[in-house]
Amino acid sequence: MALDNVSLKIGSGEVFGLLGPNGAGKSTLLKILVGILRPTSGTIRLGEYDIVAKKLIGYLPENPSLYTGLTTMEFLQFVGKIRGVADDLLDQEISESLKSFALEEKRNSLVGSLSKGMKQKVALIATSLHSPQVLVLDEPLTALDPKTRVSVKDWIGGQTKRGVTTILSTHDLDVAQTHAGRIAIIDHGKIAAVGDVESLRKMANTASDARLEDVFLQLTEEKSEEPTRH
Amino acid sequence: MSVPGPLGTIGTLMRYWVKGRFTRATILGLVIGEFFSIIFILFGSSTYLSFSNRVGLSTGLSEVALSLLLALFLVGLIQSGFNGSGLPVSASDVDYVFTSPVPPREVFAAKVLLNSLTTVLFGFPPIIVLYLRFSAYYHTSWSAAVLAGLVTLVFLVIGLLLSADITLSLGHGLGERKKLWRNVFIVLVMVLSLLPITLLIPGIPGGVALITQVLPNGLAAAVSVGLVSGTAGGLAHLADLLLLFVWLGAVLVLGVRMSRGHFYDLLEVRASIGEKFDRPNQVSRLDPKGKSIWSIVRLKEKILISRTREVRAQLISAIFLAGFMIIYALSGSFQSSPTSFLFILFIIGSFGSGTATRWIEKERLWILKSSPVSMRRYVKEVYRARAAPLLLYLAPVVIAVGVPLILGGLSQPSLLLGVILALPGALEIASITMAGGMFFASKYGQSSTDDILSSQAQELADIRRFLFQTIINLVMVSPVILLVFVSETLVIILGPSYLPILALGLVSISLFFTGLSINFLLNKAGDAVTRREDL
Repeated sequence: MALDNVSLKIGSGEVFGLLGPNGAGKSTLLKILVGILRPTSGTIRLGEYDIVAKKLIGYLPENPSLYTGLTTMEFLQFVGKIRGVADDLLDQEISESLKSFALEEKRNSLVGSLSKGMKQKVALIATSLHSPQVLVLDEPLTALDPKTRVSVKDWIGGQTKRGVTTILSTHDLDVAQTHAGRIAIIDHGKIAAVGDVESLRKMANTASDARLEDVFLQLTEEKSEEPTRH
Repeated sequence: MSVPGPLGTIGTLMRYWVKGRFTRATILGLVIGEFFSIIFILFGSSTYLSFSNRVGLSTGLSEVALSLLLALFLVGLIQSGFNGSGLPVSASDVDYVFTSPVPPREVFAAKVLLNSLTTVLFGFPPIIVLYLRFSAYYHTSWSAAVLAGLVTLVFLVIGLLLSADITLSLGHGLGERKKLWRNVFIVLVMVLSLLPITLLIPGIPGGVALITQVLPNGLAAAVSVGLVSGTAGGLAHLADLLLLFVWLGAVLVLGVRMSRGHFYDLLEVRASIGEKFDRPNQVSRLDPKGKSIWSIVRLKEKILISRTREVRAQLISAIFLAGFMIIYALSGSFQSSPTSFLFILFIIGSFGSGTATRWIEKERLWILKSSPVSMRRYVKEVYRARAAPLLLYLAPVVIAVGVPLILGGLSQPSLLLGVILALPGALEIASITMAGGMFFASKYGQSSTDDILSSQAQELADIRRFLFQTIINLVMVSPVILLVFVSETLVIILGPSYLPILALGLVSISLFFTGLSINFLLNKAGDAVTRREDL
């Protein structure tokens, strides 16, 4: 069983972090949230709508695969169209997003010819083209170079300022600590702890200035033999 | 520490590739697959031999039929060679094998041996059954059938090596710069390989088919049929056998020579496929203004098809089907047996359905499944974009073939109805098998080289898909074939005056049934995508 009795409430406009070791069930939870996988039991509610309201969600998988045979513009036009963006807004939205990610020069390049970082940016634009109320991002910073990481972090910050609810699965504890108001730690498919960094420290019985890394290790019982660093 | 010799290295590589691929479930799948193949072979060969006995066909025609069958296999291998799949290389091969100090030619040898081993496991039992059936018919010994099987296996290995050589050549300067010569070569081999079928056309000189004697399919067919029919033993057959081994030696030496370079080139060739369409000043061909979601979906598919090798695959399928229809119609066999035409067309159409099955785009399903579009409708629109071109290519051929046949057959109303039904039936069968192809691709996914080489589950899925696809496609098209089959009896019972009404009624029923079948298969395909969780 990938997930067992998971229960979470995430507030509107909140940035919610998901932490957990490899195979803990983070990606499975996100796929259920966006309707790609079906839970064996239980329900997921989004505001007053059921999860079928996919128009309200923007999802970025861990390894987004794009249509490499389309140009950046064609790919984004296609995604925008199937996600219901109005024709008169679509091109403008795409142009602004490409500009904010410094990808204007690549608008007519084939997606297949872009670097990994550029593809990740294109995937992020595709995720948010339809101005979703909820963003579900699975490891958005994995294997990116420092420059791209900064621009992706800025983008997440920008979405937060716009009041978008963000559910962020990450291995990057600094990102979780910086961006997420609350964090859920998942281990073996179960929620090990939920709360802001301060309350997680208390739950883990660590010092008040303990690094999130130590809190995480303590709560997932995978703490190394080294003493907690302060 | 001792360094293993070439044989030791090849053995280690083969063990590494084979390990874990033949589980109990895989073996069970293989046995079931073999069982169905043998049943199919027995049915086909018995039908052929019974027809041959009734009409008094010579062994020469058996040779032509086998040569054609082997030619289809050879052309398929040549095509896969040009698509870069002649020598399957997985990402883990690149990561772990190519970075090791193993000479590339030893990797090449291990790859070819592994491919041959799979082919022998899959191919030998049905081939032996086919030849045993023939040797029983011609009253020759079972050892002749075994020898004929071994000769055919040599041909299969030649085909695999040729395919590997072509893929290797793509990374050795023959690639884009020699595109014209490459295409000329494939067309030439295709035409030469298919020449035996022209013997079916009345008035064509028999010498035309002799040209194919120099190709592996012609040589293998001549020797194998000679052995099982008891006519082998002369110098001509010995020369054929020697020439077959010359082919084997030539493609082997060529492959070993080319494999001295690195296989990285192969992956580079694949990576450059998309880049050749990358032009700095191109504009979007997907302008969504004023277009519906579904026309954008179709347009997206058309752009993707045009920027990959799929257009060529579609054209090759269309050429095969069209060529077959024309020759079959010209031969006069069409009028006497339109049912057999449809049955053979089903087999060829099943190959063509590969064009439609490429759509599945497993890794990109997150884009679709996280959007609010209906998967049933989405699949139908993709079908329209991918299947319609093939039908459009074929429609003029059907008309060109059909009008003279119908006009010429007015004096034989009992046979005419079968022809009238068979012509649209050809397109109906092609469209149903393509819908079947999409359903099975949706249910089981499309295997990448990595999937096939690294996952036993995927291999098992491929076997299941092949079996179910063949059986269900056959079940789905059988009513169309059945209508043609009963048409002659219906005209005889009701009388020629009912021909126009019968023609209109039965064609309508056939079209209606085809529509229902396609709708059913595509709905199932959409549901299968919705249920897929391996994203």
